[in-house]
Amino acid sequence: MICSSLRSAFLLNLTIATSLTAAFPGSAHGADYAIVGGTVHTLISDQPLEQAVVLVSDGWISAIGADLAVPSGYEIVAAAGKVVTPGLIDSYSQLTISEIGGEASTVDSQVVAYASGPAFDVRYALNPEATALAVNRRDGVTRAVVAPRPGNDPLAGWGVTIRLADVEPLVSTDVALFGALGANAAMFTGGSRSALIQRLRRGLQQARGYSTNRYQPGPGDYSHQDLAALQRFLKADVPLVLEAHRAVEIREAVKLAEDFDLQLVVLGGTEAWKESAQLAAAGVPVVVNVLANLPTSFERLGARLDNAALLHEAGVQVLFTGGETQNVRWLRQAAGNAVAYGMPWSAALRAATASPGSVWSFPEGTGTLAKGAPADLVIWNGDPLELSNWPERVMIDGEWQSLESRQTRLFERYQDLSDENLYYQ
Amino acid sequence: MLWKLFPLIVSALAAVAGDVHARTPYESTYSPRHSEDVLLRGATVLTGTGERLESADVRLAVGRIAEVGVSLADNGARVVDASGLWLTPGIIDVHSHLGAYPSPSVPSTSDGNEMTSPNSARVWVEHSVWPQDPQFPLALAGGVTTLQILPGSANLFGGRGVTLKNVPSRTVQGMKFPGAKPSLKMACGENPKRVYGAKNQTPATRMGNIAGFREAWGKARHALDERTQAAQTPPEDDKPMKAPAPDLGLDTLIGVLEGEILIHNHCYRADEMAWMIDVGKEYGFQISAFHHAVESYKIADLLAEEGICSAMWADWWGFKLESFDGISENVALVDKAGACAIVHSDSAMGIQRLNQEAAKAMAAAQRQGLYFDEAHAIAWITLNAAKALGLDDRIGSIEVGKAADVVLWNGNPFSVYSRVEQVYIDGYRYFDLNDPGRRPVTDFELRQTVSGGGR
Repeated sequence: MICSSLRSAFLLNLTIATSLTAAFPGSAHGADYAIVGGTVHTLISDQPLEQAVVLVSDGWISAIGADLAVPSGYEIVAAAGKVVTPGLIDSYSQLTISEIGGEASTVDSQVVAYASGPAFDVRYALNPEATALAVNRRDGVTRAVVAPRPGNDPLAGWGVTIRLADVEPLVSTDVALFGALGANAAMFTGGSRSALIQRLRRGLQQARGYSTNRYQPGPGDYSHQDLAALQRFLKADVPLVLEAHRAVEIREAVKLAEDFDLQLVVLGGTEAWKESAQLAAAGVPVVVNVLANLPTSFERLGARLDNAALLHEAGVQVLFTGGETQNVRWLRQAAGNAVAYGMPWSAALRAATASPGSVWSFPEGTGTLAKGAPADLVIWNGDPLELSNWPERVMIDGEWQSLESRQTRLFERYQDLSDENLYYQ
Repeated sequence: MLWKLFPLIVSALAAVAGDVHARTPYESTYSPRHSEDVLLRGATVLTGTGERLESADVRLAVGRIAEVGVSLADNGARVVDASGLWLTPGIIDVHSHLGAYPSPSVPSTSDGNEMTSPNSARVWVEHSVWPQDPQFPLALAGGVTTLQILPGSANLFGGRGVTLKNVPSRTVQGMKFPGAKPSLKMACGENPKRVYGAKNQTPATRMGNIAGFREAWGKARHALDERTQAAQTPPEDDKPMKAPAPDLGLDTLIGVLEGEILIHNHCYRADEMAWMIDVGKEYGFQISAFHHAVESYKIADLLAEEGICSAMWADWWGFKLESFDGISENVALVDKAGACAIVHSDSAMGIQRLNQEAAKAMAAAQRQGLYFDEAHAIAWITLNAAKALGLDDRIGSIEVGKAADVVLWNGNPFSVYSRVEQVYIDGYRYFDLNDPGRRPVTDFELRQTVSGGGR
């Protein structure tokens, strides 16, 4: 279900018995809007539509074009002089499962107290009231991938997709299995990168023929629970997302995916630019944190700011992450810097909209402004990648979203310190 | 070490000589590189003092800013066509750990936190700095010309900080900013109480933090009083003056009380900043800047009144509870209250893009109807930062007579698309985007796949 659509969601591989996909558009109030006069980046074409009309009906985009008549009954939203884009999508976060990083009681993104691997699933702890949703929505982020973080196994578990709405954030479960290669993850397998790859290969091999009765886990083997989860993964058509930075690690990940016929997504990919031809040939997308250009470890010595540009040029599908859960809003700063370092503007916007919309489990068309796509859009007061601009309105699944956050409330409270009503607002 | 025996006499002499830093051991060996005079012609100039000059000329001569104006004569200087480019003062980061927490970040290079005693005022972070840290040239490629390196925040007293020029050098002494006062890093809040509380040691609470500060400052005040008294008492012929026992930590605290060392205080919460101001009053020291001051907006009036700078992130928040109330308008609200507002990095990534951090803070303000323009906001990463370091008479703005620390940008530095073209420090072109021979490469990066600023 690499490109699942909500409408086809119920036809999904039913071996994923517990797979859950929420349906939003259509279940909403069904108000109809005509967004009129803006410069619209559809992501269907690299060329924007000027002075275009976007029609939103019942949560979906019902029509889009430069010369559209507005049907009666549509509420007109003037967007002349504004820029309209799909909502931004972050491809790796812990939104709703990690509220305050340093406060363990608010963090549900990893398991460290007992052995936990591929059977871990973040879906049961999503907090729809996480403050970061509103903070980041205010900056134009409408959807995100929510992934577990490695606890004490190279395989961290299952992630979900969400929308940054105040109600019912969950979009899809079982969206991908996450894991990591490299020195940090290798600590879980005794300290060697080789042992890590061997563990993954052995686990996948055992999962292929796994049956409850026959499997006798030996020392260092996955538990029954984990192996069942791995088998479930092998039967599902979702990506294995492996964090990998060193070129050789990325090569090993590609080989592993080929040998087990897996859909691979490389996360981080600091040195992915060195493997760009192979990644392009194998159709492996890379989630890039553009700003991470430091040689912070011996597997990231090839870090560079033009990684995204080089990958794009080689034909690799690039996805962006803002790099930090509290601030997935840095997505557009990341995209802007990718442009400053050689990535075409439209490709950079695509890496934060249409590409994640198609790679992850979102309704079909997510990340584009095309007929039939969910109506996630942002009206900006200028170039969305430019730091001096901001969203004026944000819509998710056809509903205008509040741009108030806990932070804006704090601002309002403290903008006038002389106010004797300070604590009564 | 004569000065330790006769502090008052020596400081009086030093004051007469106008050469305070001469008394500091481990002094700077930096001297400006020989540079040709340069006339940067026709740039949009943000002076750092609130002005924006269109198509202006700036002449650098003998390491200083010699002239600012329109249609200046070259006076023999090499002319750089800067039309269409922007010129700003060199960027200054008041909160960095480069060299002490270098890349690669591995246990053997982790030298920023002496987590062995809550009072580690005895350590000097310059003794941890690795001048071959590849992060220095990356910061240079982001226009950073001066940076204060601070020890970490595990301790109430983390040790001395040092202000460096961002120049390639075999030694840290060769980077030390001549005449810059050292600093003392103090830390409030979660970190010290977490680190020592976990070891069942003090401080384990915020009240333990404040008690730890007061005890140390009380001892320092007492020791200084004793030294002063001893220096004022005429020595008797048969009793030679007894030197105080050596105490590195005490030396640093006394240096603060004597005004020779500046306080830089990691402190997130408004209520804790207010306590720290009172601790300063009790023992007689002034805080230069609160760092990571995510709640400064709640007491911006108090900070303005006390003349304390706030060093802030543009939009970091929520990574721990004491940062939960961070808001994007913090910088703007502090500035609006008339207090000294600084955008700092505390990050080897952020330091490369302080211009973008300032841009985000400016945009957040404008979004709420608080208008700050580029000419004003550039001070958040230049002149105001220089103030907190006590160097605003020498760097931080494009004014005649100041050091020729300037950055030439290929566009508006508040645009995400703009990049640094050239960086001058004391008039020497240390970085040039278009000249691979002018991009320093550290030893560590040699024959690695990527190297040098602009990676």
